[in-house]
Amino acid sequence: MTATLGTQPSQQRTWLRAPKFLLAIPSFVWYVFLFAVPVALVVVNSFGRKVAGTPGKVDLSSPSLDRYHEVISGSFRSLLKQTMFTSILGTVLCLVISLPVAYFLAFKVGPKAKTAVLALLMVPFFVNFLLRTLAWRIVLQPQGFVSNFLQSGHWFTFGLALRNGPIQILDTRAAVQLAIVYNYLPLMIFPLWVALDRVELHLREASKDLGANRLRTLLQVTLPLAGPGIVAGLILVFVPLSGDYVTAALLGGAKGNMIGAEVANQYFKAQDAASGSAIAVSLIISILLVLGVIAACFWLMARIRRRARAVQLVQR
Amino acid sequence: MSLNDESTHILISQQAAQRLAATINRRRFLAIGGGVAAAAALAACGGSSGGSGSKSKNINMFTWAEYDDPDLLKSWGNISLTIFNSNEEAIQKLVQGGGSSGFDMVVPTGAYIPQLVKSGLLAELDKTKIPNFSNLDSHYTNQSWDPDNKHSVCKNWGTTGWIYDTTVVKTEIKTWADFIKVAQTEASGKTSVIDATPDLCGIYFWANGIDWTTEKTEDLDACEKFLVNELASHIKAFDSYPGVNLTSGSYALSQVFNGDARQGLLGIKAAGQDPARYKWGIGSPTTELWMDNWCILKGAKNVDASYDFINFILDPKNSVKDLNFHGYNTGIKGVSDLAGSIEFKDMVFFTDAQVATMKPGAVNSAQDRLVKIYSNVKAKAGG
Repeated sequence: MTATLGTQPSQQRTWLRAPKFLLAIPSFVWYVFLFAVPVALVVVNSFGRKVAGTPGKVDLSSPSLDRYHEVISGSFRSLLKQTMFTSILGTVLCLVISLPVAYFLAFKVGPKAKTAVLALLMVPFFVNFLLRTLAWRIVLQPQGFVSNFLQSGHWFTFGLALRNGPIQILDTRAAVQLAIVYNYLPLMIFPLWVALDRVELHLREASKDLGANRLRTLLQVTLPLAGPGIVAGLILVFVPLSGDYVTAALLGGAKGNMIGAEVANQYFKAQDAASGSAIAVSLIISILLVLGVIAACFWLMARIRRRARAVQLVQR
Repeated sequence: MSLNDESTHILISQQAAQRLAATINRRRFLAIGGGVAAAAALAACGGSSGGSGSKSKNINMFTWAEYDDPDLLKSWGNISLTIFNSNEEAIQKLVQGGGSSGFDMVVPTGAYIPQLVKSGLLAELDKTKIPNFSNLDSHYTNQSWDPDNKHSVCKNWGTTGWIYDTTVVKTEIKTWADFIKVAQTEASGKTSVIDATPDLCGIYFWANGIDWTTEKTEDLDACEKFLVNELASHIKAFDSYPGVNLTSGSYALSQVFNGDARQGLLGIKAAGQDPARYKWGIGSPTTELWMDNWCILKGAKNVDASYDFINFILDPKNSVKDLNFHGYNTGIKGVSDLAGSIEFKDMVFFTDAQVATMKPGAVNSAQDRLVKIYSNVKAKAGG
């Protein structure tokens, strides 16, 4: 296009100019070789079976769905369900806890204080993930200081004193749920804050000027405008959370096990790359299914809201 | 017990470090941290981890957690430890590293050595470079899984039993059948089992008088049915090192290796509590006898240093120091006398009658099935 328009010098520049897609090549190569290819190999391996006695080898001579059958029929199905439940609950808890924080950050805090609050939110990231999670073992252990304090009957426990012996949270699903919300909270707060921050004040003021009360402004102006940020936050938290296994390995014991740990287990302990791959693919499919359902819900909500508003306008 | 260790350094105040060391399961941290480090080492494909020259006293060792006296290692030279949790995991990681894992030595359990040899991972040992080899009691050399010690030298051996908190468990546990009964009742949801395939399945076989190296399908079926349906839901954690967890009061009943149980009791004593509260027992009527071994990996960069270290550790006076730390019999001639009156000595050295009830495991045709059982039990416990 430039060539037809250009004079001599600009034509020369065009000739010298490298094609634009060159910029994308590094990340393209990166994604193809370190993401697409390995994932494709995992999918392929999931149709094979383990070669007995040779660690990690997969026999692909007679591809079948047997490994998936094992996932669906065995104990893995209930573990997958549990994992999804933990992940969905964890994501919802993150959203509920993050929304007020992000709202506060975006609209109620002055610029100076904002920097301070953001810095405070970053602080946990300066501590190694493993250590952060491990520290919960001290807090939650049955003979730890929290447990001892709660059992002490000190007036400060507000009558919540435990009468049935030490707290038994460590090595349960509850411990994993708690720590998971704690570990993934910042991943929710930041996108929500960015999304809310970009909602223009004029629009919120206009809503008020047109007679909407604060709740209505929030529900009909602020939140819909922040919608994409909320969706980004949900995905950012839900996807890695579903595959998390460090938290479960450190705090979950036998009861708080998650499917991610089972994938690692199949690869490293069982030396069965085929089963590990099948579980991993099942996890990916489950994640996509849940995301699909959430997307459908959002779409339905938007539709209903639009229809409801249309009716209102006609009535007035 | 300090948090200063060859392979793990954490920035933390002294006080906090002591608190952390006293209260949390450090092995779990080491094990997972070790896993991450091993992955990193594999990712680096051994590029720079070899260290310089074969004469320097550097070794990269792939081993179990809390298994070597750090002071003793330091007195020899510079050994960096990377931790694995089970033999299967170690083998898998070494195979994936394809001989360029960057490790010089590995410490596998005897029954797994044939598989390692078959995978071409172990170097053949030149015993002229290990003159102290002759210090080993002949009971612990020339084992069925490695005739003539071609590829391995005994590090130490041990057995599996249980330890329980008598304030929670009132029934006396004398056999594996008692162990199961208590796990299902008094200690339900407070029981830990060892996080390894053979030991988990062993509970069923030992309790029911079945040879734990069985390859019969009906035995394996029955084992799976029992463990998945009747034991899994009572298990609190799969923990290969519950000993250190004793002080945190996490479990009322644990399946445990003898040395780890001893370390746990020593920890209880160090914390100023009464070790009499916990009761240790050797698995009965039959139980495991395992032996872990020093092996040099093919493609090791520090071969001479590795030989030097093996020779060093087979010196009785070093061996006794090591024994004192990990609490397992090192198989050196007369080591029991050399050890003197160490604490909980009956947990390290066993009578002939006791040893007669212990049987080595085997990696055989049942292995894949056992691993499946183990996976299903784990999934069931969490599902």
